[in-house]
Amino acid sequence: MIVIPCPHCSVRNASEFRHVGEAGSRPDPATVTPEQWRAYLYERSNPAGWTTETWFHTVGCRRYITVERHTVTNEIRAARPAGRDGRGGREPAEVLSTRADSGSPDAGGQA
Amino acid sequence: MARSPITVSGPRSVVHGWEVSTRRSAAALRLSDASPLAKVSVRADADGALADALGVRFRGSRREDGVLVIGSGPGEWLLVGRVGMAPEIAEKVRGQGEGEFATIVDLTHGRALMRLSGRDAARTLAKVCAVDLSDDLTPDGAAFRTSVAKVATDVVRDDAGGGAGESSYLLHCERSSGQYLFDCLLDAGMEFGVEPAGPHLNQDEPAR
Repeated sequence: MIVIPCPHCSVRNASEFRHVGEAGSRPDPATVTPEQWRAYLYERSNPAGWTTETWFHTVGCRRYITVERHTVTNEIRAARPAGRDGRGGREPAEVLSTRADSGSPDAGGQA
Repeated sequence: MARSPITVSGPRSVVHGWEVSTRRSAAALRLSDASPLAKVSVRADADGALADALGVRFRGSRREDGVLVIGSGPGEWLLVGRVGMAPEIAEKVRGQGEGEFATIVDLTHGRALMRLSGRDAARTLAKVCAVDLSDDLTPDGAAFRTSVAKVATDVVRDDAGGGAGESSYLLHCERSSGQYLFDCLLDAGMEFGVEPAGPHLNQDEPAR
């Protein structure tokens, strides 16, 4: 059983979480090439070792967190709230300010 | 007429527009339906002016003017008060926001609420919940959201709502899961002699 130290809720059983996948930053849709976008969507490094991934605490704080996990031993050395660079990990306040700036939630993709 | 999602057998009466069971229990471990109590959800900046006015953060709770203010998530609060008090609670919170963006929703009819009280309450809960319920990690007033019998549940340790020397927990979940959770807790508490009861609207709850 994997035990995840949620930065908001403290130590919890992994069955409370949804595994989102390897964490990485989203390329800028305005300048990205199709190859880079494809790599962002589908390619994963899948190491036998340390990896940084995003988990969603479904049955707890309902926040995305970034976890550094060893894929062989399942040891976890760090867990922190997912920030702007983590996938889908923006805090509500940031989402709101983006909307206020652009007038549309995904106007960044229209540029 | 409003009805709780939880059915407790026994005689019924109508209190503030809710049909409730008047069944009482004097058992050492009691599980009572508390669904008719006013429940108001507040969502706002976790470190904003409203958070300061509410006075608790995630994982804590406190009572103020007969209202139990529960920090149920980061930037998320649940306010529990007497039956029919929801508009009053919402209005008060609205006045505390100082123009900050916040969401205040009356959830009274959308959620189930129950109270487990007794000396064996923690042992019962431990059978269906993986969180450490010891006094060190979950003292009186502690609040957390976790899986209880596989249902996402807000749990608050609120000993003031139980009898003297007993621990007491409030459990809050979606209305549609209420009866299931109630039955699971009765099943888990069977070995400790748990008995179901109707809402103690005037004596048991935060108004006290």
